[in-house]
Amino acid sequence: MEDVDKKILEELTKDARTSFRKIAKMIDKSPDTIINHYEKLKKIGLIRGSTIIVNPQRINYEGMAAFQIDVSTDKTKKIDINNILDTLIKMPNIIMATKTVGDHDLLAIGVIHDFDHLMKINEEISEIKGIKNIQTSLWASGEEICSKYFIV
Amino acid sequence: MKFDQKDLKIIRSLQRDARINFAEIAKECDVSIDTVIKRFNRLKKNGIVKGTTILINPRLLNFECIASFEVDVDPGELASVIVQVREQPGIIFCTATVGMHNMFAVSLQKSMKDLSSLKENLKALTHVRDIQTSIWVEEILLCPQNFELDKLTKR
Repeated sequence: MEDVDKKILEELTKDARTSFRKIAKMIDKSPDTIINHYEKLKKIGLIRGSTIIVNPQRINYEGMAAFQIDVSTDKTKKIDINNILDTLIKMPNIIMATKTVGDHDLLAIGVIHDFDHLMKINEEISEIKGIKNIQTSLWASGEEICSKYFIV
Repeated sequence: MKFDQKDLKIIRSLQRDARINFAEIAKECDVSIDTVIKRFNRLKKNGIVKGTTILINPRLLNFECIASFEVDVDPGELASVIVQVREQPGIIFCTATVGMHNMFAVSLQKSMKDLSSLKENLKALTHVRDIQTSIWVEEILLCPQNFELDKLTKR
């Protein structure tokens, strides 16, 4: 990890639309150098992409919820945890999902309009084939997740 | 607050790629580049859009251990415990929750050893009763596009 890479990550995390020319000027390098480093960071997958940060509260999302999911151990059903993960991340309002090791098998984080909406999402998740149990935690959407790694 | 199909298209384009050229969005929405810039600035000004950022894979920055904690804290002491948890190294998110537990936190650590010592530190805090740890494995899927913005234009 070179200083150029660090500077690129730092500036683009603050504002993904910062021009390469501007970053180049800040550290006295050529724009081409910045572009090359940026392309390399993308190629190795350190930069996975860029996105806009919307404020959930301003678009009528009152809260966020974490769904800790237990996958069924029923051997008679052919259950593939990867399929469940895939279904989860395609669901509207689910903004993050991952497999976990610990008390539960999957964790999904979603944005919630109100209690009715939370109930609806809970029901939709429980309808996915192979899910045994869901444990839900709810919080107010004003809380900010560090923008370095997450998008809310 | 007015919010229409064009605003929606601008947000959707930038959600997929925040570095996209405004000229491209303008072409897609059939408006001038000036209009796109004006609307983007307005969305930022009225707080719907907080900004833009890149998505980083923390594992490639040697943060191998990503974990979430569900914590039971003595009721009434929650606010002060949250402040203390946020000061711990590697905690990137901590909030009060409603559910089986009353606190949820996420941490990034370089190794299992660091994760284990963080957990011990959290457990050592006064008023922390119990911690449930989940370690996030394999790829973390992020999908900012799943925000239901479409409904807004209909209101």
